[in-house]
Amino acid sequence: MMLLGIVLAPFVAALLVPLLRRVAGPRIGLLLTIIPAVLFTLLLTLLPQVNSGTTIGSAWEWVSSLGINLVLRLDSWSLLFALLVTGIGTLVLLYSHFYLGAKEDLTKYYLYILAFMGSMLGVVLAGNLIILYLFWEFTSFTSFLLIGFWSDRERSRYGAQKALLITVLGGFVMLAGFALIYLVTGSFDLAEILARRELILESPLLPYIMLLVLIGAFTKSAQVPFHIWLPNAMEAPTPISAFLHSATMVKAGLYLVGRLVPLFGGTAMWFGLVSGVGIATLVTGSLLAVKQDDLKALLAYSTISQLGLIMTLFGLGTPLAIAAAVFHLFNHAAFKGALFMVVGIIDHETGTRDINLLGGLAKQMPTTAAVTGIAAFAMAGLPPFSGFVSKELFYEATVHPEFSGWLAGLLPWLAVGASIFTFVYSMLLFFYVFFGSPRGQTPKSPHEAPALMLVGPVVLALLTIFTGLKPDFIGQSLINPAAAGILGSPVAEHYRLWHGVTTPLLMSLATIGAGTVLYLLIEPLRRLFKKVKSRVNPNRIYDWGLDLLTNGSAKLTDWYMTGFLRDYVVYIIGAFVVFVGGTYLLKVRAIDAWHFAPVNLFELLFALLFVVAVIVLILASSRVIGLIALGIVGFFIASFWVIFRAPDLALTQLIVETISLILFLLAFAHLPSYFKDLEARKKKFIDAVTATGFGVVTAGLALTAHGTRLYEPLSTYYIENSLKLGGGRNIVNVILVDFRGLDTLGEITVLSIAAMGVYALVKLRGRAR
Amino acid sequence: MKLDNLIILPVLLPLAGAILTFMLKGRLSRQKLVALVVLGLNLAWSLLLLAQVRSGEILAFSAGDWPVPFGIVFACDIFSALMLTVSAIVSLAVLLYAFHSIDIERGKFNFYAFFLLLVMGVNGAFLTGDIFNLYVFFEIMLISSYVLMSLGGEKAQLRETFKYMVINMLASALFLIGVALLYAVTGTLNMADLAVKIRTAADHGLLTVIAMIFMVVFGTKAAIFPLYFWLPQSYPATPPAVNAVLGGLLTKVGVYCLFRAFTLLFTFDPGYTHTILRFIAGATMAAGIIGAVGQFGMRSLLSYHIVSQIGYMIMGLGIFTPLGIAAGIYHLVHNMIVKTALFLTAGVTHDLTGTTDLHKLGGLLKVYPLLGWTFFFAGISLAGAPPMSGFFSKFALILAGLDAKHYLLVTVAVLISLLTLYSMMKIFRYAFWGQASREYPKVKYGPALCSAVALVAISLAMGLGADWMLELVMAAGEQMMDPDLYIRAVLLEV
Repeated sequence: MMLLGIVLAPFVAALLVPLLRRVAGPRIGLLLTIIPAVLFTLLLTLLPQVNSGTTIGSAWEWVSSLGINLVLRLDSWSLLFALLVTGIGTLVLLYSHFYLGAKEDLTKYYLYILAFMGSMLGVVLAGNLIILYLFWEFTSFTSFLLIGFWSDRERSRYGAQKALLITVLGGFVMLAGFALIYLVTGSFDLAEILARRELILESPLLPYIMLLVLIGAFTKSAQVPFHIWLPNAMEAPTPISAFLHSATMVKAGLYLVGRLVPLFGGTAMWFGLVSGVGIATLVTGSLLAVKQDDLKALLAYSTISQLGLIMTLFGLGTPLAIAAAVFHLFNHAAFKGALFMVVGIIDHETGTRDINLLGGLAKQMPTTAAVTGIAAFAMAGLPPFSGFVSKELFYEATVHPEFSGWLAGLLPWLAVGASIFTFVYSMLLFFYVFFGSPRGQTPKSPHEAPALMLVGPVVLALLTIFTGLKPDFIGQSLINPAAAGILGSPVAEHYRLWHGVTTPLLMSLATIGAGTVLYLLIEPLRRLFKKVKSRVNPNRIYDWGLDLLTNGSAKLTDWYMTGFLRDYVVYIIGAFVVFVGGTYLLKVRAIDAWHFAPVNLFELLFALLFVVAVIVLILASSRVIGLIALGIVGFFIASFWVIFRAPDLALTQLIVETISLILFLLAFAHLPSYFKDLEARKKKFIDAVTATGFGVVTAGLALTAHGTRLYEPLSTYYIENSLKLGGGRNIVNVILVDFRGLDTLGEITVLSIAAMGVYALVKLRGRAR
Repeated sequence: MKLDNLIILPVLLPLAGAILTFMLKGRLSRQKLVALVVLGLNLAWSLLLLAQVRSGEILAFSAGDWPVPFGIVFACDIFSALMLTVSAIVSLAVLLYAFHSIDIERGKFNFYAFFLLLVMGVNGAFLTGDIFNLYVFFEIMLISSYVLMSLGGEKAQLRETFKYMVINMLASALFLIGVALLYAVTGTLNMADLAVKIRTAADHGLLTVIAMIFMVVFGTKAAIFPLYFWLPQSYPATPPAVNAVLGGLLTKVGVYCLFRAFTLLFTFDPGYTHTILRFIAGATMAAGIIGAVGQFGMRSLLSYHIVSQIGYMIMGLGIFTPLGIAAGIYHLVHNMIVKTALFLTAGVTHDLTGTTDLHKLGGLLKVYPLLGWTFFFAGISLAGAPPMSGFFSKFALILAGLDAKHYLLVTVAVLISLLTLYSMMKIFRYAFWGQASREYPKVKYGPALCSAVALVAISLAMGLGADWMLELVMAAGEQMMDPDLYIRAVLLEV
């Protein structure tokens, strides 16, 4: 019950936002900060209990016929995330109050952000895959709405749509993977699935399941090549970028991957996919970050890169690697959260985020500068900050992989290579922006931010220092339990800032050394990087694909949706010929021609004249001749009725023919000129083929059906009983008014509707609004 | 109380209502009242029928008490009752919107009577157990739709109605050919009797061909690939209220008939017929969405979406397992609700701004937030986002498809879902986000939108109450996969 309360509280608060907005006015942000703060405290009190290995859980039946039940579970891995979400959430809400002016649509903003918070808590507390998926999609949608918060900006709309399409694509694909898991194990419950992991590991579907689920995680956590949505998501207000697109939502993929380590971990495919994609993302992100001009874009690529780092560790899957992953995830949330907030402050106070305009800000904004320095050094992996500890662990994990092969061999080299550039852009962020002289005129003259706005970044910076100095405290109280929660067995790593001269230390030294050299060459380096432009990159493919989709499909559709009735008739008849005629050729063996009734000369002559009339109709060069030929065809049909002793039908046919002819003549003057000349040869040919095909198929069917009478028809009953039971000698009449009187009621209704419809058509013309 | 004889009420009520409406010549408020009362009763009665049959009982009655199969039989199983109920909801919702949207002139020319007659035709099609009688109800439904489409006599209306009419008459002619052939081979028109005779027939060759004729006929009504081309241009030319009822109801009658025909009658060679249906399902999804993403008119975009979504329903039929049929029905029900809601929001947008051209719209969310959010939730339900009904119906379809190992079809279904979302977001992006291109009037539009809001709420309820819905559609699916139940109810128990 408590867990449900924790998930629902932000949603309830979100629904109350419109009301609270009226009560609290512009201070609503401050008021709402209470909610994550309370949740954070509550979760913190659960820490000892959960860390001792207890899983708090609760379950409600929902769609139990499909195994979808509302199962919530809080173990130490979930708890770490829940703490991050509520903890950083508190700081972000506080910060938002100062970031957003009173003119902004605060109701919408806080409603979305609280709904997101609830969704994110739902993701990490879900014990059932479908519940996880449900909240997962909620985070995508709330993220969409938040990125598009300033929806009158085209770039916001573009970024929102891109993020939504890519993450939801991943979500759908992941759902298919979940469905396969269900079909293999018979459950969506995570605990049950883990208990039946053998079934999955032995299933021939294993590679597909793994791939499908991982695509979900990769899209959400912005892994290559799905990373392209994250930089465009930076159109969101900066607190949102700090909260969703760096500290929490983008880590949902990592959360899921962590959850799946006990299921798939240790398989070669898992290592190849997760670590392979992870290291590629790490390298790509860090290289691209260096050349960015926009500070937020730099942070976005940096986030991508760091997410890749953590992903790589999850792929390795050793207890050390998992502990390192958790540790770095924690550290990253702190230092990146701080960095986003200071970039927001810079943007807020100077009016720009363009690195080419900024410089020497340390004088006017000393606190901001200090925070940036601490966070950037942590990100670069410098001692004594938190990042140093986790980066060392990362290095150590890469040099002792459980796997062999080229990827495992390459890992340490790629890790160091990417970290060098991480070092470079971290220095860029700090020294370039805060020292030297201003490079250009900023829209506003810079000054320090209000004290309360600095609370968030300062708290996070202090956390970064504290973690660096006391790594084992954080390690024992948060990291080891969380890693144990992932692996399902206790983890007893010890964390120290200094642990002698080891390979990881040498790797760190190499990173710092090479990084310093490259930073000294920063201007030429950035110029060089900017020159490298790939013609084929995921962004272009995305834009090209969407463009093709919209314009290409419009062209395709316009091509066949001509608006001409005659084309549509060709389609429908064509489909009939293909489906019915094709099936006829495939399925019908032979026509029983022996039972056909004998044809006398008279009938043959009529049939021939009939055919002649049809040919005249087709070849007619004017409407009058066509009309006459059509009339002749009709009258021949009537005469057939006479021959086959159906005088009532013959009469009806004659009346219909006569009236049609009269109507035609009445309308004659208003008809457009004869269409004959307009037709192209090709169209004529298609028409001829379709018409002939239709004729052949229906004639063949009629003949075959005539020879395939399998049962006694209903009419026998009607013939026997029309007088006896229906009291009438005319069988047709008795059928119409008695046996099947309901049909006649229907037909009368049809005629009445037609009459009233025609009346309205004549009277109402053009009078309606 | 014996309900069997009263299953014809959903046909008789609207007929009586329509006659009364015609007699109330031009007294508009009374006409409206009659329509409202009739459709209210229709909904109540449908719900009662559903409650009665959901345990598995199949109600049947023979008109004039003629021995089966010589008279006309009506039968109501879970599928029929479900369709009756949903179409009752949809028609009532559209009626409430029409009160605000249909102009006085159209109203005076018996709009509400034609509307009731349309409902009569639809209900009859869901209930009849006789294939020729089905043709008759199709005619009632179609002729009412021609009148509703052309009522008002605007140029675009007349042009599109004419095409719509010719194509439907052609399809009706094919329908007759099919019925005639079926009668020639089996000598009967009663569907239960047909089911028995088709199953026990010595030679299924010609019957497979006849099955294909019905596929083309019902497929044209249902707008499946490659027979959907008549739909996307004709629907947007009609008044929004007519657009909503056609989009929500009419094609679904075709889908209902396909389900009926290919679970009751033509089940002797699913390896052939249902494989074709699965192919058509995938092609319909794709063709519809390809049409939709290129559109810049809200209503034409939604019209292409009708086509695409029909593909999902046919997917369930093509999978041809109890879960597949159930999922198909779930999707059918969900889609009728949500599609109507979408067309109603498009209608309200049209009434408020005078256009549904996405290039001309923008920033509506700020001016009409309720409209925007109604559209948003209906849109994500259509795309299949949880916890809306669309998620569960699509998920059940995916599960059924994977279970039956139709991996390619599932892949198509998943990708098309993404494009569905894309096109919904396209509308949201252009019409509701962005900058307003002009000043929009600040008017009260709540009453006109209330039925759309209610439909979205129903969609949400059908998602949150998915367990209940699944139980119902699974019961329907299992009942349909065992045609003996229907046959016995009609042939032996009337």
